[in-house]
Amino acid sequence: MKRKMIVAVFLLMSSVLLSACSGLSHADDNRIQIVFWHSMAGPPLEALNKIVNDFNQSQDEIYVKPEYQGSYEESLAKFRRVGGTDNAPNIYQAQDIGSKYMIESGDIVPVQQLMDEEHYNMNQLERNIRNYYTVNGKLYSMPFNSSTPVVLYNADAFKKAGLDPNKPPETYSQFREAAKKLTQANKGMKGFSFLNYPWFFEELLAVQGGEYINQNNGRTGLATKATFNSQKGLNIFKWLREMQKDGTLANYGTSGDNESSGFLTQKVGMFMSSSASMAEMFKNAPFKVGVAYIPRPDNIERQGVVIGGASLWLSKGKSAKEEKAAFAFMKYMASPKSQADWHIHTGYFPINPGAYKEPIIIKNYKKTPQFKVAVNQFHDTKSTYATRGPMMTLMPQSRVIMSRAIDDLYQGKNLQQSLDTAADHVNEAIAQMNLANKK
Amino acid sequence: MAMENPTTTGQVPSLNMPYRTFWEKTRRFQVALLFLLPSLILFSVFVFYPLFRTIYLSFFLTNQKGLPTVFVGFDNFIQLFQSADFLQSVKATFLFILYTVPASVVISLFLALLANEKLKGIHFFRTIFASSLGVSVAAASVTWLFIFNPTMGVLNRIISLFGIQEINWLADPHWALLAVSMTTIWLNLGFSFLIIFGGLQNIDQSLYESSSIDGAGYFYQLRRITIPMLSPTLFFIMTVSLINAFQTFGQIDLLTGGGPGQTTNLMVYAIYKDAFVNFNFGKASAEVVILFLLILIVTLLQFKFVEKKVHYQ
Amino acid sequence: MMAIKRGSLYVVLILIALLLFFPIIYAFLVSFMSTKEVLMGHLIPKSFSLTNYIDAFQALPLLHSLINSMLVSIITTIGQIIVCSLAAYAFVFIEFRGRQFLFFLFVSTMMIPWEASIIPNFVTVQKLGWINHYAALTIPFFATAFGTFLLRQHFKTIPKELHEASRMAGLGHLSFFLKVVMPVSKTSLVTLGIYCFLTTWNSYLWPLLVTTDERSRTAQIGLRQLHAQENVTQWGVVMAGVVIVAIPTLLVLFLGQKHLQKGLMDGAVK
Repeated sequence: MKRKMIVAVFLLMSSVLLSACSGLSHADDNRIQIVFWHSMAGPPLEALNKIVNDFNQSQDEIYVKPEYQGSYEESLAKFRRVGGTDNAPNIYQAQDIGSKYMIESGDIVPVQQLMDEEHYNMNQLERNIRNYYTVNGKLYSMPFNSSTPVVLYNADAFKKAGLDPNKPPETYSQFREAAKKLTQANKGMKGFSFLNYPWFFEELLAVQGGEYINQNNGRTGLATKATFNSQKGLNIFKWLREMQKDGTLANYGTSGDNESSGFLTQKVGMFMSSSASMAEMFKNAPFKVGVAYIPRPDNIERQGVVIGGASLWLSKGKSAKEEKAAFAFMKYMASPKSQADWHIHTGYFPINPGAYKEPIIIKNYKKTPQFKVAVNQFHDTKSTYATRGPMMTLMPQSRVIMSRAIDDLYQGKNLQQSLDTAADHVNEAIAQMNLANKK
Repeated sequence: MAMENPTTTGQVPSLNMPYRTFWEKTRRFQVALLFLLPSLILFSVFVFYPLFRTIYLSFFLTNQKGLPTVFVGFDNFIQLFQSADFLQSVKATFLFILYTVPASVVISLFLALLANEKLKGIHFFRTIFASSLGVSVAAASVTWLFIFNPTMGVLNRIISLFGIQEINWLADPHWALLAVSMTTIWLNLGFSFLIIFGGLQNIDQSLYESSSIDGAGYFYQLRRITIPMLSPTLFFIMTVSLINAFQTFGQIDLLTGGGPGQTTNLMVYAIYKDAFVNFNFGKASAEVVILFLLILIVTLLQFKFVEKKVHYQ
Repeated sequence: MMAIKRGSLYVVLILIALLLFFPIIYAFLVSFMSTKEVLMGHLIPKSFSLTNYIDAFQALPLLHSLINSMLVSIITTIGQIIVCSLAAYAFVFIEFRGRQFLFFLFVSTMMIPWEASIIPNFVTVQKLGWINHYAALTIPFFATAFGTFLLRQHFKTIPKELHEASRMAGLGHLSFFLKVVMPVSKTSLVTLGIYCFLTTWNSYLWPLLVTTDERSRTAQIGLRQLHAQENVTQWGVVMAGVVIVAIPTLLVLFLGQKHLQKGLMDGAVK
């Protein structure tokens, strides 16, 4: 008995060591294998796998292997370590706010380089999305999953409150008024909800033409100072504070899931959401869901929205053959057909406007015209430094800091002070990073 | 019987004592080393090396790849102690320990005593009591997120039956830490129960038998036999729960993200944010060193003052 | 009198069991609901359809990752029991210089938050060439202070007379360890085994970092892939995944419990 145990243990141990030597992965055919790291989960994962399979079946020279690497944060933490080594993937999906790091890492090849070599027509890509990923006149990465913020509202509740569901509010005062009416007319409902997710703050700043950091939002030079604590930043906080005082603002903390369920169970009339979750909302709401542009202050002209989401990066240090193969896949992903599929199944925007002519999209828009509102808001965007979005290595950290300022807002603290404190923290972090990166 | 009245043990002369020659000592050391070698090697590679690396990094500013660039001495530490955010996270951590550790240990002891009763089907209950150990932190947090949901969550529906107003569990600074603590206690119970129950099962039955003959009641036995005999286990679970509480991370990430008003921004969560999101390794390392020292002090105190009361054979 | 006591004990047991098991029952019920039902806050599903389970299995190679999880957990458990019991033995039965210090050094390793050492360890594993290998998923966890500490606490309750007697009988350290200490400590070994199996099974961040390839991935990573970051979560499918992944662990708990029965110890000590 005991001897058997010992033998079993030894067998197991040696199998561990053996597997350590032989390895578990191996490439088994003659196709060029392209490893593609991504952070897509849930329904987008299924949609992505379908596009990859279609690509793999459409030709027999390149085989793309998609590999999930956890959330954007987890994935980036890993890429920071393996970037430039043999373990690095050919294609890497990085979140929008990780772009500046990717550019500076020295571990990537700008896609512009391959586009130029192959005379790829860049103009087929959506201008407003391209703008985000273009720095110093160079397109660094291939846009992929792109989303913008919208306001979703309960159209049925609007009617009940005597509001016109086809004419949603546009300005701060209109939103405040609508929130009041919704709260009064619908029992147990609060008019508006603003999630503690700083992306929404960034967007509300951009829509006013406000820049988040100096140096033209970090687009013309290295940002040295946060500028979101300007009058424009304060506008946002003041407006939210007013609604809070009115008793029309719901607070779901940082949980988007709790907020969505609050909306679907009619505890909230309007909320700021990512366009990427529109499709699921339409599907699941037991009432009619309307889509509106994000709010702006009464006296400020609308500038538009910044693109969010993620893009695809090419690793440096791979053979020219692999680079070309990886780029071939990127081109496939950016084709109108793939983008139309992607758009319909996930709610992310097509990065290639050609997709809007695909029958599948035309059919879908007829059924749910609300989708168009989000697309229009996005197309109405004026190209300024504000709407191209902030470019800074410390964007992820600035979100952590801003999240605290939004907390302060809900705790009833002084608004200007909260914003100034947040800005100070970002400035300190920038100063420290610049010092650390000098060498 | 090997065991006798618990009060007279601990005086058995050890066989190891008489050998006092230098040669014998060295040989014993060598044998011990042999037994300890696998652990020592693994610890050196996967624990001590990262620890020294962390201590080293805590004196530097690090760049975006996490590599040290500028030596700053104790600046990282000084900045931390001047930062209200950091002090708040230390405070939150200690409050969290206060809420979770004693409650977990007491409740699991109670559960273990219940499960130790000789009843039909008790086996089933034992598995239920230990079941939270079988659920990952991520899965459990997701479930509790629903339980705490302000509008449709079960908890608010129950309290509304009693006419209490809805509580915004995770977004209200008065409740968030308690809500996270509740989740944590639930998560801890399975494990603490299992350990304490295992300890109970190890107590020699004849101790009870002889005291029953003397006519001792249940609570007398509990105080005089069960608790003393269980003390090594209780000491163990207290120490481990304490250390685990210091290192709580997963449920914070999924439930509150450190908010509202940083009331749930526990130290390890702050470290994770600094290391994984901000990639500020210098600062994160300094936080780790402070956390390490804090745990070290608390554990040392525990070994010094509490282990004295522990009754070993 | 006995009957009343017994009856009330059962009532207490059932109430507590319900309370403790509620989150798990809840997860189970949600696993049958459509996203709509979940978000509307229903407690009981309209129907017990298996759609979510089918979706979960279709979306991911769950079966393969379950096998991986099983292998990794078993190897880690065995490795940990061996390495930790050896260390614990030295701390209890061999009196050597620096024993207290070394033991405390061991315990101190528990105090280093794993989140902090994870990146340096990732680099180590990368340098060893263990990425995508079972070795990376198992070997770093063979030595744990927790396991050593747990077993030390138990070994300390083994009467010293046993050691004495075995020495008289001419047993060396190794045979005393194998023939006496290990059999006597079955309960603690089983406890440690269950604990180790479950924590390995439930770990996520480390396996995610050290594997890139689906072939070496464990079930918890699969689970995370059901949970989208920027979309509305399909809770029904996520919970179906949770249930699938939790079934093996609950089974281990149930079987492990059987081995924690009374009586394992008594015969051995005499």
